[in-house]
Amino acid sequence: MPLINFATKEINCKIVYYGPGLSGKTANIKWIYDHIRPENKGELITLATETERTLFFDFVPIEVATVKGFKVRFHLYTTPGQIIYKISRKLILKGVDGIVFVADSQEERHDANLDTLDDMLNNMKELGIKFEDTPLVFQYNKRDLPNILPVEVLRKDLNKWNYPDFEAIAIRGVGVIETFKEITKLVVQKLKK
Amino acid sequence: MLSIRPEEDKKLREVLTALCSESRAKVVFLIDKAGQLISRSDAPAYTSNDITFASLTAGNVAASEALSKLLGDKTLNHAFTETEDEGIYMSLLDRKLILVIIFEKFASNLGIIRVKLKKYRPILEEIIRKIERKSEQEQQIGKEINFDEIDIDNLFE
Repeated sequence: MPLINFATKEINCKIVYYGPGLSGKTANIKWIYDHIRPENKGELITLATETERTLFFDFVPIEVATVKGFKVRFHLYTTPGQIIYKISRKLILKGVDGIVFVADSQEERHDANLDTLDDMLNNMKELGIKFEDTPLVFQYNKRDLPNILPVEVLRKDLNKWNYPDFEAIAIRGVGVIETFKEITKLVVQKLKK
Repeated sequence: MLSIRPEEDKKLREVLTALCSESRAKVVFLIDKAGQLISRSDAPAYTSNDITFASLTAGNVAASEALSKLLGDKTLNHAFTETEDEGIYMSLLDRKLILVIIFEKFASNLGIIRVKLKKYRPILEEIIRKIERKSEQEQQIGKEINFDEIDIDNLFE
């Protein structure tokens, strides 16, 4: 749920990167954090295990100032992808304003993509978040690896609703900014309405 | 969407500052369950990264609520985290918002915090309900802010 404060002239929106384990959700927001101007970013918080797998969430606030003095702050979150963290994923979706679904393009991870998409839809339903009203962008990540599925297959199986989608190699920044720009654009468009 | 007008922000700050002062706390935050900071008390001597603090507190409360459910309880009313010198008391308002009170253990204690919170809780809940009712009726937000000015292209180096 967006929060608008007319006294402090701030608009806050929550964007969640959702996807199966090791699909590159953290790689996306780390790349954004590393390449964004220092004055536009807050602290990157990573709640991870010793082996750098996300345990609860990663978080970074990104701020955009407008000419008339309003500041829009996008709170970027990732979810833990591993199956055992189902409850944590649901907690992080609370109050979400936009979702990036990061899919793993490798054939052997396609089942995990499908399971995680089902998990996301179930969690949204349980939280009372209307899927059709929520801005959503798909990202097909790891396009540089061997044994990847064609984009047409990923699109057909995952993006049945024709939401905007992007190919990416998140670890090298390919497609990361495009994905981020699209989801922020959709969230702002929804605010306008 | 929750929209807070200047007069509502002022009122919230006044009540949070009064609660902070009377309970001898360092600072009081009001945040939502999505981790967004709604308001805070005046606390000139206290500096922190409020945005990060709000996000981590909401995560902490969400995890505590899930633990509570696992144990068979339906609700969580409050949670407490203690560091060497400080206490962080988190209490739910109307089950939707989180009030966070940070105090130094040499200056205050949980007893004082709870007594003062009992006094201010209904006042805060009433202000929040009014803001929610007004937010539901507002239709004109999009016209008051020029969203076309938001320039994502210039964010990156």
